[in-house]
Parts: sequence; C-alpha cells; structure tokens
Amino acid sequence: MSFRMLSVNLSTGKVEFEDVSDLFSKYIGGTGVLSYLALKDLREDLDPVSPESPIYFGIGPFNGYYPSASKAVAIFKSPLTGNLGESHAGGRFFMAMASAGIHVLRIVGKASCPVYLSIKDEEVKIIPCSSLWGKTATATERILREIEGTKRGKESILRIGPAGERLSRIACVTVDSSRHFGRHGLGAIMGSKNLKAIVISGNRTLRISNWSEYQKLYKEIFDILAYSEVSLKYRDLGTASNVIPLSNTHSLPTRNFSQGFFEGADGISGEHFADEYLVKQIACAHCPIGCIHMGQLREMFAEPHLFRTVRTSYDYEPIFALGSNLGVSKAEEVLRLLSYVERQGWDVMSIGVTLAWATEAFQRGLINTTHTNGLVLSFGDAQTYLKVLGNISKGATEFYRDLERGLGFCVQKYGGEEFAITFGGVESPGYMTGPAAFVGFAVGVRHSHLDCAGYSVDQEFFGKASDPYVEVEKLYKESLWRMVTNSLVTCLFARGGYTMPLVLRGLRVLGVEETEESLMRKARIIHGMKYLLKEKLGFSFDSLKLPEKLTRVYTGRGLVSHKDFDDRVKLYKDKIKEDMAFAQEELKA
Amino acid sequence: MAKRISVLDRERCMGCYSCVYACSRTWGRVAGIEKAALRIKSYSGAEGFFSIRVCSGCEDPDCAKACPTGALRPSKRGFGVDLEKKLCNACGSCVSSCISMALQWDEEDKLPVPCRHCGVCASFCPRGVLGMEEVERA
Ligand code: SF4
Ligand code: SF4
Ligand code: SF4
Repeated sequence: MSFRMLSVNLSTGKVEFEDVSDLFSKYIGGTGVLSYLALKDLREDLDPVSPESPIYFGIGPFNGYYPSASKAVAIFKSPLTGNLGESHAGGRFFMAMASAGIHVLRIVGKASCPVYLSIKDEEVKIIPCSSLWGKTATATERILREIEGTKRGKESILRIGPAGERLSRIACVTVDSSRHFGRHGLGAIMGSKNLKAIVISGNRTLRISNWSEYQKLYKEIFDILAYSEVSLKYRDLGTASNVIPLSNTHSLPTRNFSQGFFEGADGISGEHFADEYLVKQIACAHCPIGCIHMGQLREMFAEPHLFRTVRTSYDYEPIFALGSNLGVSKAEEVLRLLSYVERQGWDVMSIGVTLAWATEAFQRGLINTTHTNGLVLSFGDAQTYLKVLGNISKGATEFYRDLERGLGFCVQKYGGEEFAITFGGVESPGYMTGPAAFVGFAVGVRHSHLDCAGYSVDQEFFGKASDPYVEVEKLYKESLWRMVTNSLVTCLFARGGYTMPLVLRGLRVLGVEETEESLMRKARIIHGMKYLLKEKLGFSFDSLKLPEKLTRVYTGRGLVSHKDFDDRVKLYKDKIKEDMAFAQEELKA
Repeated sequence: MAKRISVLDRERCMGCYSCVYACSRTWGRVAGIEKAALRIKSYSGAEGFFSIRVCSGCEDPDCAKACPTGALRPSKRGFGVDLEKKLCNACGSCVSSCISMALQWDEEDKLPVPCRHCGVCASFCPRGVLGMEEVERA
C-alpha cells in the first residue's frame, strides 16, 4: 500500500504532496504515524496558536477498507494544556481523506484573511470566506454543503464555530453533521490560522489485491459489528444507556463531582431520551453500528405560536457534562444547552466541567455577582446556564472571557483548585467508578476515558478487593492495544470485533504481513513515542495529582485515597518508562 | 418475472453507506464508494433524513433516451438499463438525465455505472431499508 501526506502552508499558499509509505510501514498509520511526526515537530517553546504550530490529521490502513474503521486522528500541540493534543472524530472525514488519497494532512501557517481549505483529489485551494467568519458551526456547514456539495454525498466538512475564532482554549472542530475533534482545543488552532473550515472529497478507488479473501473477511467483520452483541448497546440506546447504571453505582458525576448518585437520573437517562426525544439513529460513513443518536426539541419561542425545532446529537458524555454534573435533570434542558454549545463550537465536556466548577466557586464565594454580571449560579438552574453561555459568547465580562480559556486557567486566577476536576490539565470525563478510572484519566496519553478504559476495570472490580498490580496491568495493556486500533484507525465501539486475529487477517488481506509480536512491538514504540513527546512538552508522572475533592466522594468502589492513586500512578509510570526506553532505542536504530 | 432493487423503508436508513460500499466492492472490486451504482444522500446538520438514490428500474428510462450512441439501452429484463461499454463515448448525458440522480459515474473508467438489480446492497443493509421487489407488469 502507498500512503501520501499533503502539506499546506496557509501563509505562503504552498501545497506539497509527499510519499510517506515508509512511515506507515514503521508506525502502522493514524496515531502511530502522527505521533512520530509530532515528536519531530512539536517543541516546548512553540506557541500552539502561532502560525508555526502544525495541525496533523491522519488515517490508517483500515480506513476505507473495513467497516467501522471510520475515525480519523488529529494531533497537535494543545492550546489547553500546552502538551500533546490528540483527538479522534468520525463522520465521513476518513472516507474523504481515503478517497482523496491523502493519509496525512499537515497544516501550518496563517492565512491573511478568513479562508477555508478546499481539497478535491489533487486540487487544493485556499478560498477566502470572510462572510463565514462569525457564523455558527451549524450554519457554516449548511452553507459549505450547498456551495461545495456537488459530489453527491461524498464531501466531508470540518469547521469551527465562533468559539474557535475567539481562540477559546476549549474550542472543538466539528465534523459533518455531528462528530467532533472535541478535546484539547484544536478549534483554537484553526481559529489562530484564520482557517474556518476544511472541505475535502476525492474520487480515487481503493484497490483490492486479494478480492475473494477480502470479501470473505469483510462479511465476517460486518456481521459481528452489524448484528452481534458486541455493538448492541451502541445501536440501541447508544452511550446514553450508561446514565442509570452509573448513577445506581455511585459513578455518575453529579453537581461538580459531589456525589455519584444523581436523584434526577431518570430524567436524563438513555431510556428517557429515546422515549421522548430520539428522532433518528445515524451512522458514520461505512459503519453498520450507527451509534449516533439525534434528539429533537420542539419549542415555542414566541407568540403567536412561533415554533422552532432543534436537532442535536446526544451521547453519554454531553449528558453528564450538561446534565448530572450541573444538576440539570431534564432532558430537554440538556438538549437546549447542548445545541447552544454545538453552535458555538466548544468541547462539551470541557465547558460543562468548567461551568460546574464555576457554580461551586460561586457558592463558596470565590466569585460573585460582580464577576457574573448579576447572574446567580445554582446547580440545576439550566436557564441561567444558558445565559452564562450567552455571556461567554459575547465576552460580557472578564470572568466570562476567562471561562472559555478552560479550567486550568480559571483556577490560577480565581483559586478553587481543590474542587477543579481536571486530569493532566484537561477537564475530566464523566466516570466516578473508582481508582482505575481516575488513574486512567491521569496517566492516559490524552487524559481521556478512552485511553485505557479505567471505568471498565473498576466495573470489573465492583464489590471485590482491589488489586493495584492487576488493575494497572489491565490499564496498560488496554492502552497499548489501542495504539494498534488507533493507528488502523478503527472506532472504539467496534473494539469487540477487531480482535488480534481479525486485525492480523485484515492486514494480510491488504498485503501487510504482521505477527502478533511484530504488531505489539510497533504498539510499544508508538506508546513510548507519545510519552517521549509528552515529557518533552513538560508532562511528568510525578506531578500528577488526584483532585482533592475526589478523595472525599464515594465512588463506585468507595473512597479513593491520595496514596492509592499515587501508588498506581507509580506502577504505571514504571511500565511506561520501559516503553519510552524501547522507543528511544528504536528511533536511534 | 425479475426482481428490482427497491427502497422498502426509507425511515430506517441511518446513512451508514454499507450498501454503497457493498456494491462498489462486489461489482467494482474496489473498496470505497467510487464504483457503486447507488448513493445515499444526506443533508446538512444531520437533519436525520437520508435519501436513497437507487435505480428506479424505469420501463422507459430517461438515461437510455439521452444516450447518443446507444451504449446505454433499456435492459432485456424489462426495466432499468444495460451498458455496452465499447459504444460509450463518455459524454455523461445519461447521468445528467437521470433526474433522481440515481445513475452514477465512474470517474476512473469514465463510464456510467448502471444498476444490475442484483440485491447485494440490500443484503448488506443492516436496517432492512433496501430489498428486492417483484416488478408488476401491465
Ligand atoms: S438510471 Fe435513472 S433513468 Fe436510468 S433506469 Fe435507472 S432510475 Fe431510470
Ligand atoms: S442492486 Fe446490485 S448493482 Fe444495483 S445498486 Fe444494489 S448492489 Fe449495486
Ligand atoms: S445500508 Fe441501509 S441503512 Fe445503511 S445507508 Fe444503505 S440503505 Fe441506509
């Protein structure tokens, strides 16, 4: 297989294609290849929102070939943390990249006016679009779909909302209808480059050498993903099905992580969303699972009987972030807040966790009505939260402008660190299942619940005695395996289907010979490279801390002490140090 | 009587493109969607509606009428069209004349991609949107 990188310099307009097949043979693709490039490129003294700051998008060898290999990876220097920024998104971006024959897209520079980048196969254009500046993420898609949508449903559209234009450190990049490069503030980098959007499509065909084997394997994988138990949860209620079980096990963050049981969980449960608001399940391109759930809200916004219909995709994470963690117990209020967040283009988890902190800071007197322009912040008061979001968009006061710089910034300025729930500088994901989840957020390459799935390790150990060695080993193994799947790049919801034997067969059919050993060797190198990069940018295991507040809340597995947390981090660090040394050796060779 | 590919239940479509990939893979022998004889059209904002553009199996097909060389002809099966590749001059009139935008164009080979009404796409639709339907004859 051959792989290409397209580099675009927005300052000079220079466009360059280059063959990067050797990188794909060394580092598989996706996250592996991008980590290598980022390790060479990203420096500690690089300002993430400066013209030199690169954005990398990448896909892997499975994209376009196998079902639910429907993600693309973005790597960059995070404007939020100053460290490795990594985010993954579905939609049809991967498909557009594959059919344009672009496996890595590197963007640097800064355009002299608002532009969007239009890529159609070899044709790369930087198109001025001043009239799009200031438009919401949703409006931008509508307009670009109309002007560029001549490809009969093939183009993919990435764009930022006003939050990204304001260089909000928690701005996301929205992909097609409803997927996001959410975390770590990629939206701010696009904003800093005057890059409002990217539209990409292609007409290339993806050759298959071993057609009958391919057909057979495809059908096998397809049947698992489309019809078996491994994806049923995502097809049915979607990730929102987590709400009730998590609340029932004291694991659903409620009112800024004050408790894990939410008395209003029924009102924001996956079941309730489905019964009252679900209008459609949709899928990323080439994914038979179809986990995306579109909720619809119909509301009268003015007399005489003027109605609007708001459609927004919902998932577990936004429900935790704008629901239970803000004490909001009505699905319709969650949808209302969510659709506002969608239009502005913030990462929903970051903004939600920041609002929860702000509410607690208000209640403790760290901030008052002078900061908030008279608004009284209370858990459960969704109407006020909507006004808060409006004030942030308008930059109404300094405090509101600060809120969209992320929680780390706010804490430095206003205090309240002990109840600021961040890990590695990133606003926390929504799992209070126990120590494995917390440790996973802290040590994970992207400080995400998706790095090593600590919540599922916790769930496995519910009601059982802790075994830090075994648990940390599980976290590590999961993280390592995800180096493979995130390089291929398959969706995590398809992980039940993509087992080692199927991955090896999948590669073989595409003409790539790997063994379990050789693949895991690459996984270790990639893993090691990521932490080499993280340390280069200032990350240190020794400075990881469990937010003070989390030592006092009852999680799914009871109280978690600093000591327990620190011990596990130490165990994990030892494993990672080995991978780092291993990667360093390999890179020298 | 032959069966024709049909949209049985549009509402169930989730826009996964499994059908499109299946056609391209099976008949075009490539991965991706480039050689498929159908498209799923989605609208901005994932308004949640998809339009499935599959050959209607017209009895008097506009695409064939638009073909200046006789390469695309009404099929002997009584509906839809067949292509005789060597007569095609790649003018693209057929594609633009199919008002429902079902007829696709193979950019690589510069040929239209007429539907074979084989049902492979339907067999890969996880939601039962597509199916084969007996063609009623007057
Ligand atoms: S391609 Fe279009 S015009 Fe031709 S037979 Fe099919 S639906 Fe009718
Ligand atoms: S019926 Fe056969 S030829 Fe026609 S669109 Fe479906 S798979 Fe393709
Ligand atoms: S396979 Fe079925 S559900 Fe998926 S896009 Fe095609 S018609 Fe829609």
